[in-house]
Amino acid sequence: MKLYIDAYSSFRGKVDDINLKKELKQKYKLDTRRQDTFIHLAVYGAQRLKERVDIESCDELYITSGAGNIDVLQKTNNYVCEEKEFIKPFDFINMLGNTTSYYVATSLGLKDKNIFQISNKFTFINTLVSVYASLKNSKKNAIVGAIDLVTEPDEVIKRVLGVAQETSVTSSVTYQKFSLSKQNAIGEVEFDTQSYSLEEIQSQVHQSTYDIMASMRCKALDAVKDDEFFETMPSYYIAYAMETKKNILYVDCFDGVYKIIKIRSLV
Amino acid sequence: MNRMHSVFLLDYTLRSAQGDLQKTLEAVRNNNISIASKEVETLDTIIKIPYFVLDENLSESMEKIKLAIKKEVQKILGNLSSKEREQTALLVGTSLVDQNIVEAVESTVYDYKKRAYKSAKKSIDIFADEISKELGLNPFTMTISTACTSSVNALLEARNLIQSGVVEYAVVVGVEIFSQMMSNGFSSMKLLSSDLQRPFDLKRDGLVLGEAIAAVLVGSRESKWSIMGGYSNCNSFNITSVSPTGEEYAEVMQEAMYLSGIGPKDITLLKAHATSTPTNDMSEIHAIKEIFEPSLLFTAFKPYLGHTLGACGVLELALLMVSIDNGFIPKTLNHKESIIDEYRPLQENYSCDSGIFMLNYFGFGGNNTSIIIQKERS
Repeated sequence: MKLYIDAYSSFRGKVDDINLKKELKQKYKLDTRRQDTFIHLAVYGAQRLKERVDIESCDELYITSGAGNIDVLQKTNNYVCEEKEFIKPFDFINMLGNTTSYYVATSLGLKDKNIFQISNKFTFINTLVSVYASLKNSKKNAIVGAIDLVTEPDEVIKRVLGVAQETSVTSSVTYQKFSLSKQNAIGEVEFDTQSYSLEEIQSQVHQSTYDIMASMRCKALDAVKDDEFFETMPSYYIAYAMETKKNILYVDCFDGVYKIIKIRSLV
Repeated sequence: MNRMHSVFLLDYTLRSAQGDLQKTLEAVRNNNISIASKEVETLDTIIKIPYFVLDENLSESMEKIKLAIKKEVQKILGNLSSKEREQTALLVGTSLVDQNIVEAVESTVYDYKKRAYKSAKKSIDIFADEISKELGLNPFTMTISTACTSSVNALLEARNLIQSGVVEYAVVVGVEIFSQMMSNGFSSMKLLSSDLQRPFDLKRDGLVLGEAIAAVLVGSRESKWSIMGGYSNCNSFNITSVSPTGEEYAEVMQEAMYLSGIGPKDITLLKAHATSTPTNDMSEIHAIKEIFEPSLLFTAFKPYLGHTLGACGVLELALLMVSIDNGFIPKTLNHKESIIDEYRPLQENYSCDSGIFMLNYFGFGGNNTSIIIQKERS
């Protein structure tokens, strides 16, 4: 399966380093009321993509995440379950996964398909598979957003990501506009549903002419690994490959099962 | 329709507040519907709300929910060989609150609940991930959260995966279990009825929430039931409602028919979303009026099952299929006086064993979905 990359945007780091609300209000002239930090981050990334590419109202939208909107659950759990207060209507609405994708769609002027989905394993690669299957049928283009927000304390997200306590986790928002057509492409990403054993993946890595990057989860694999972690890292490496005009083979792993995506710059 | 490229509905199951598939069918056929209640707690009051309860104990544990889902999935996998199971994806649609996160928050943030650090990858898709592994299915799993359209959107995603050859089969699950926070939320928005759901009725006053687990098996192997087409959009007046004219609903219904290669006159019956809230029913009936003649047969299922949010997509599909497989379409319970005189939902159970059916689902966040299915005559 192959998708062509028409455009991308990427931000990773501490969200406190940028004043998200101010950026959204002043730079992008967007209403930020009734939203939380997870939604702000999602919309911020989408606006950065919009600066780089034309977005059609019929583009499909897929949003994925490692854990979803922890921010709102942490807040509401505190005042509903601990302080026995009535839930605020907009916190209730923000707890629904597709509220994030609604605000993203609205900010981009999208009116077509809008899916918020999470896979417990390989969430970004599975989203690519879904997008590919959808575009094969609809013949449209797709905007794909991958959002991970680290809240305080960061132990909360570490507990649900399945990582060691000493792992350095960070926030990230990355978008791509994908197409099945090579016409406006700046890159391509190849992937499939196949998974590999350690021996098989070592052979793939050995034979590849691409730069190799691997998730921290690939402990047994001898490859360069990022020193920070977020679940939708393959999405970030698509942006990184486009930015640096490199070809990258990214390896992800869960419970000894490996998957790869091959990212190629076309410019 | 060219059935060569179709995706077929091969089997279905459900577990609702009325019981398993057979018990639910009998309860619906005989209008013998039971509604229990739940308590929603706040600081100074406890509000009792009518509620379609599946199992009082399910909401207590993620493990119990998983086992209940697994039981339903097993029922429809019976005829698949182990090789076919390996070609079967598992997709879930739900708006359940992710208790894994809640547990992580409680174990970390509150001193009196603090637990030693323990980490395992656990997202809302953990049900699908673990069940898939335990039943020897394809490792491709996914949980879609698009409010009340979650499981019907999962069905459309499954259809794409099969049509594009990614997998041969998919099990699509809709699940919704009581959550204090979700019920609290609906109550705070004043969307709950004090007693019954009355779809498209002048005296409708809101919805009654419910629990359910339902599943369908879809694949490219030919069967009497097929998915002709469907369309999903994100288009609304604001985050919780569409325009009073229902133009956004009309758009998905029209596009679903276009993509299925049919017109309004081809529809045997429409299963409406019909939440029984004053605004949404008004928008939906206007959308129906925009597209269909008054002779359209339409009905609504939520008075039998409750509004099961993310589960309602597959649940109401399964109820429609089992009813038609048993020769009838259920009437719209609790409806007396229609919002628009000429457009009145079914007042009596309707004899039917085949045809083309439209099913509507609309949710918060502007998600609107309409699908069209067909049952060939025997």
